Amino acid sequence: MNLAALMIADSRFPGGGHVHSGGLEEAVARKLVTDEPSLRSFLVGRLRTAGALSAVFASAATRGRYAELDAEFDARTPSPAQRNASRVQGRGIARAAKRAWPSPVLTELLRVTPRPHHPVIVGALVGDPFEAAQTVAYHAVTGPATGAIRLLGLDPFGVNAILAHLSSEIDAVAAMAADHADTLPEDLPSPSAPGLDLLAEAHDRHHSEEVRLFVS
Amino acid sequence: MAPLRLVPRRGPDEVALVHLVSSVTAPLGGDDLELRIRVGPGASLELRGVAATLALPGRHPGGSRALVQVELAEGASLEYLPEPTVITARACHEAVFRAEMAEDARLRTREILVSGRLNERSGLLSTTLDVRRNGPVIKQTSHVGTPEVDGSPAGLAGRRVLGTELLCWGEDLPGAVSEDWWSLVPLARGGSLTTAVADDAVTVERALDIARGKHPGSGDLF
Repeated sequence: MNLAALMIADSRFPGGGHVHSGGLEEAVARKLVTDEPSLRSFLVGRLRTAGALSAVFASAATRGRYAELDAEFDARTPSPAQRNASRVQGRGIARAAKRAWPSPVLTELLRVTPRPHHPVIVGALVGDPFEAAQTVAYHAVTGPATGAIRLLGLDPFGVNAILAHLSSEIDAVAAMAADHADTLPEDLPSPSAPGLDLLAEAHDRHHSEEVRLFVS
Repeated sequence: MAPLRLVPRRGPDEVALVHLVSSVTAPLGGDDLELRIRVGPGASLELRGVAATLALPGRHPGGSRALVQVELAEGASLEYLPEPTVITARACHEAVFRAEMAEDARLRTREILVSGRLNERSGLLSTTLDVRRNGPVIKQTSHVGTPEVDGSPAGLAGRRVLGTELLCWGEDLPGAVSEDWWSLVPLARGGSLTTAVADDAVTVERALDIARGKHPGSGDLF
C-alpha cells in the first residue's frame, strides 16, 4: 500500500476526521448501539451503504472528472448534514495535502472544487483505484469504531477485533468499487443509507441544542 | 395484454388524473415491465395507484424488473403516487424510476417499500430513484432484504417499512426539518426529499404527509 494511503487512514493524520463519528454518537444516544454486537451491526451497515458509496467515488476520482463527481456525489447524499461533514473532512485533508503532497493533480482538484468531498480528494491523492477505495471504506468504519470506545467505554481490544474481522468485507467493497474506476460519473452506483441519513439530521439538530462530543 | 391498465377520470379538470390498475398478477419473477410517461409543455398529470404491488417470485430464476421512464417538458407537472410495494419471501425485484425534467417542470414521486407480508421474511428488492434537471437532482438506490443492512441502524434500523418522497415543486425550505424517524431535507441542487422508516406503512405514510405539510409547495398538493 502506498504511503499516502497509510497516512490518510492513520487516525493521527491531521485532516480533522477525529471529530466525526459518522452517526454513531446519535445511534448511541438512542441506545441503538450499546455493546459490541450492536456496534458490529452498525459498522457492517455503514460499510455496505455509505462506505460503498464513498469507495466508488474514491476509485472514480483516480481518473479525474472532479466537477462531475462532485455533483454526482451531492445527488447521492440527500442529507445536508452528511454533505457538509464530507466537505469539511475533504477540506481538512486538502489543508494537510497542500503541504505534504503538492502536485498539479491536487491544484486542479482544488481549482475545480475548493471544498472537495472527502472520497474525491482521497481518490485524487492515493491514485490507485483499489487502494483509494480501501482507504475510504476503512475510514467509513474506523471513525465510528473509535467513537464507540469513547462514548460507550467499550473494550478497545474488542472493538479492534471487530474492525480486523471486517477486513474481507472491506476488501470486497473496495474490489467492487475498483471495478467502477472508469464508469461514467452519472452511472456510478448510488447505495442509500436511510438510517444514517436520519441519524445525521437528528445529530445536527441535537448538536445545536445540547452538548455533543462529535460534530457528526 | 398489458399488465397495467391506465384508467383516466373523465372531466374538465385542470389536472389529468389517471389511475394505475394492475390487470395481471405482476411483477412475477421473469417479468420485465416498462411504463413511459411524457407530460407535454404546461400539462399536469396525476398518476395514482389503487392497490399495493406484491412482488412475487416466479417459476424461473432471474427476478423481475420494472422501469418507469418520465419526461417532463417546460412547465409540466407530474405527481406519481403508486401504493406500497410489498416484497414477498423469495421475490427478487428491481425497480427504476428515471425522470428527465425541464428547468421549470414540477415532480412529486412517492415510494413505500414493505419488507415481506406480516411475519414473512423479505425477498430482495433494489429500487433506484434517478432524477435529472440539467444535471443530477438525486440518484439513490435502496436495497431491502439483506438482513445485515436491514437490521443495522445505518440501514432500516430493524424497521419493516421505508418511505421516500421527492418534491421538485418550486421553492424548498432553506434547512432540514426532522424527527427521530423521518426527515425532510433540501437537496444540493434543488428539490427536497423526505425519508421515513417505521414498522408499518400507515406510520410511514403519516410521516410523509407531515413532512410534505412543511414544504413550501404543499399548498398545491394533496
